[in-house]
Amino acid sequence: MSSSSAGAAAAGKPPGGGHGGHGDSDERHSHNPHLAHHFDDIETQNHASRLGMWLFLGTEVLLFAGLFLGYSVYRHLYHETFRFASHTLNLTLGTINTVVLISSSLTVALAHHAVTKGKNRLALGLLGFTILCALAFLVIKGFEYNHKFEEGALPGKWFHFEEMAGMPGANMFFTVYFLATGLHAFHVIVGMAILIWVAKRLARGDFSTDYNLPVELGGLYWHLVDLVWIFLFPLLYLI
Amino acid sequence: MSQSASSALAEVPYRAPVYQEINYLNADSGVMSWLKTLDHKRIGIMYLGSVLVAFLLGGIFAMIVRFELSTPEPTFIGANAYNRMFTLHGMVMIFLFMIPAIPGVFGNFVLPLMLGAKDVAFPRLNLLSLYVYWTGAAIVLFGVITGGADSGWTFYAPYSTTTPMTLFPVLLGVFILGFSSILTGLNFIVTIHTLRAPGITWMKMPLFVWALYATSIIQVLATPVIGLTTLLVGIEKVAGFGLFDPGRGGDPVLMQHMFWFYSHPAVYIMVLPAMGVISEAIATFARKNLFGYKMIAYSSLGIAFVGFFAWGHHMFVSGQSAFDGGAFAVVSMLVGVFTAIKVFNWVGTLYRGSIQVTTPFVYVCGFLFFVVFGGMTGIAVATVSLDVHWHDTYFVVAHFHFIMVGAVIMAFLAALHYWFPKMFGKTYHEGWGMVAASFIVLGFNATFIPQFLLGNAGMPRRYYMYPERFTALNVASTAGSTLLAFGFIIILIYLVYALVNGDVAGDNPWDSKGYEWMTSSPPIKENFEEIPNYEQEPHTYREPGEEVEHVVI
Amino acid sequence: MAENKKHIEEHGDGHEGGHGAGRYILIWAALLVFTITTVVTGRMDLGSANLPLAMVIATIKATLVVLFFMHMWEAEGILKLVFSVSLVFVAVLLLGVFGDILTRSTAALPSAANGTAIYMGADGTGHPSSPEH
Repeated sequence: MSSSSAGAAAAGKPPGGGHGGHGDSDERHSHNPHLAHHFDDIETQNHASRLGMWLFLGTEVLLFAGLFLGYSVYRHLYHETFRFASHTLNLTLGTINTVVLISSSLTVALAHHAVTKGKNRLALGLLGFTILCALAFLVIKGFEYNHKFEEGALPGKWFHFEEMAGMPGANMFFTVYFLATGLHAFHVIVGMAILIWVAKRLARGDFSTDYNLPVELGGLYWHLVDLVWIFLFPLLYLI
Repeated sequence: MSQSASSALAEVPYRAPVYQEINYLNADSGVMSWLKTLDHKRIGIMYLGSVLVAFLLGGIFAMIVRFELSTPEPTFIGANAYNRMFTLHGMVMIFLFMIPAIPGVFGNFVLPLMLGAKDVAFPRLNLLSLYVYWTGAAIVLFGVITGGADSGWTFYAPYSTTTPMTLFPVLLGVFILGFSSILTGLNFIVTIHTLRAPGITWMKMPLFVWALYATSIIQVLATPVIGLTTLLVGIEKVAGFGLFDPGRGGDPVLMQHMFWFYSHPAVYIMVLPAMGVISEAIATFARKNLFGYKMIAYSSLGIAFVGFFAWGHHMFVSGQSAFDGGAFAVVSMLVGVFTAIKVFNWVGTLYRGSIQVTTPFVYVCGFLFFVVFGGMTGIAVATVSLDVHWHDTYFVVAHFHFIMVGAVIMAFLAALHYWFPKMFGKTYHEGWGMVAASFIVLGFNATFIPQFLLGNAGMPRRYYMYPERFTALNVASTAGSTLLAFGFIIILIYLVYALVNGDVAGDNPWDSKGYEWMTSSPPIKENFEEIPNYEQEPHTYREPGEEVEHVVI
Repeated sequence: MAENKKHIEEHGDGHEGGHGAGRYILIWAALLVFTITTVVTGRMDLGSANLPLAMVIATIKATLVVLFFMHMWEAEGILKLVFSVSLVFVAVLLLGVFGDILTRSTAALPSAANGTAIYMGADGTGHPSSPEH
């Protein structure tokens, strides 16, 4: 029935556990070194990996949902204050960061595309650019945070922002701001680490036109980071 | 004993049970082979050891609470210590036992066997989920030792954010445990989608698999929200961010919304796998096709989804609006419909079945009785006007213990006894099994029925001292809990004895038609010599129209 | 087994790049256009239309990223279902809580929102102020 006795070397390893080299052509599934022993064929295994990754992305969406909830509730309760507070944020830096993230999404998508076309050197360059964008995002965020510390526009008991003293719920805006952008920045760091790991493997020659799933999955995680910012930016900086 | 009973009912001539000599337990030896295993069966066994330790700890906290409450005055611990005891009883039981137990132990062990698969989809993630569980549990226990938490397991702000107790390690531990739950759920969903053997279509999956699927959906969707909530409360406690602090314009009820958005579906994470176990066991011990397979499968999904819309019934008197309360009340009652469907189908399975009264079956019966009463009192407290009287009293405590102990733990014990031969290839002593089951069922009733009466009479929960007039019922409850504890100790003893010295069980001592019984007991490391033929439907004991044979044992 | 094998045979798994790199650049350009649009309109005072407009634009941008950068356009149905369902439950969370917030009596809302403002001094501590705020 099934090739359950696959003599695949990579016993028990989910995809991504390849040991260098390029995978065999698709016809000889049972000799594909990336095929784990409990999967019948590489298509199913890849589908399983993608499904697992999307489920994980679903959990990330629900994680940020709580913060969007907090923002929505307090914005509803203190809408004048929130409106005023968002205008005190640095629009230029925020817009630059948005463009940086969107562009990094482009380059990581192009990187995967390049690997599927066998252009590994180009892919490595694109991945490197993506990682630089991530770094740039964090640096800019660092400048913004620093400015906030100077102004006193801080969460909770640390709040002493003269410009908004007396406004109902003023500290609440900055509590939500720091929590949301902080959690997001944490995910940028994690995403950067993932992309660096993928880039290292790419440089080592692990990926090919036949096997490039980790590049795709790493890219998916990075796109999620971008997605969250696409919503955070207008809510925090614009309206 | 169980062997000759099942062999009398078997449709094949009796042959002596055979123990699978080389199996997953001894395939590789050494501690490291266990700690670095990718075998879902070994991971299930390690989960079993872990959750039993957690259960013991949670049980000790419970006994301390009950002994303290055996007199209306302070009995033997101080007030603050008492607060910590009930908090830790709740946290340890829920996060270290109830949530991971049935999926982590029996889901891990049995799911691939039921699907004709060689392992779960991501074996390394499976091992990681175990490590993450150990890490989270260790941090929670560290928190316990360094002072523990006194906020109740629900750690509502602003008390939790301002209490002098070191809540933070406990919250961090819970946060980490959440990841273990997510990884398990994710793994199971992908396994069920991609690793079903040829012949096992969605509508031919065993019902335990359907239950695990529904549970995993909840785990994946809901757990991140409690992760965020513990993070936010922890940050507020440590850094004074004030998100839920009324003095800074915050809304404490918002914290409750976020908390219960997970914690209500969490009870379905606990109960759905339990219901799956019951479906499996009841078909085997009634030797009858499961009545209404499709309805049971769909109702599992129904509970999973509708259970997400009901969280506000924990907040009827919190300051939440009456409108929202009413909406949540109606939806909460809707969930009861799905449970009722299952109960009717299970009873329909028993009707005109050929019943073998074994230890797992006794627990199944206990489950049925307790889930009905626990469920009905659930509908009762879901009624806003009634809950105004009962909220934060022992009525609610009794209600949820009826479900969590009466239903879920009965199911856990049923699973433990039902799959013990599958996991270890040995049988336990049925006589002692029955003795323990009697203690547990009787002890359970003696513990928790008085609590319904106490709550209705007005005794609040989480109170250290109480008025004299509640003494008799409290003493009765404590006495019952002692019986209950005694029952668990008996189980521990005879199961350990069976591990060491039990009779050989053979591949299928219950003569069950479940798919997991189509391989050796204990299974070999690769699960199957050859993937079986899955022509028959699961839980099928007779063809439609076939005559019922009533066998006298 | 691979329920999706039929899908892959019919549609290709979309991961071999049946389209060129140009598609990505086009989407990126569109995203930039929408970004400029939201930046310009966001800081304008459109009253109560600000929030819905910003959210519509953000949703369009997010949709483009999900469909094309994340290959959702050509993905198997189960992946689409997983993502959609997670979004549905975000909506459930928001609806359930707003069902409460919008219908609570003002006395039960945080006091700063019901007219008795908490004066947040420059040092971050608060005390009730006169009700004019």
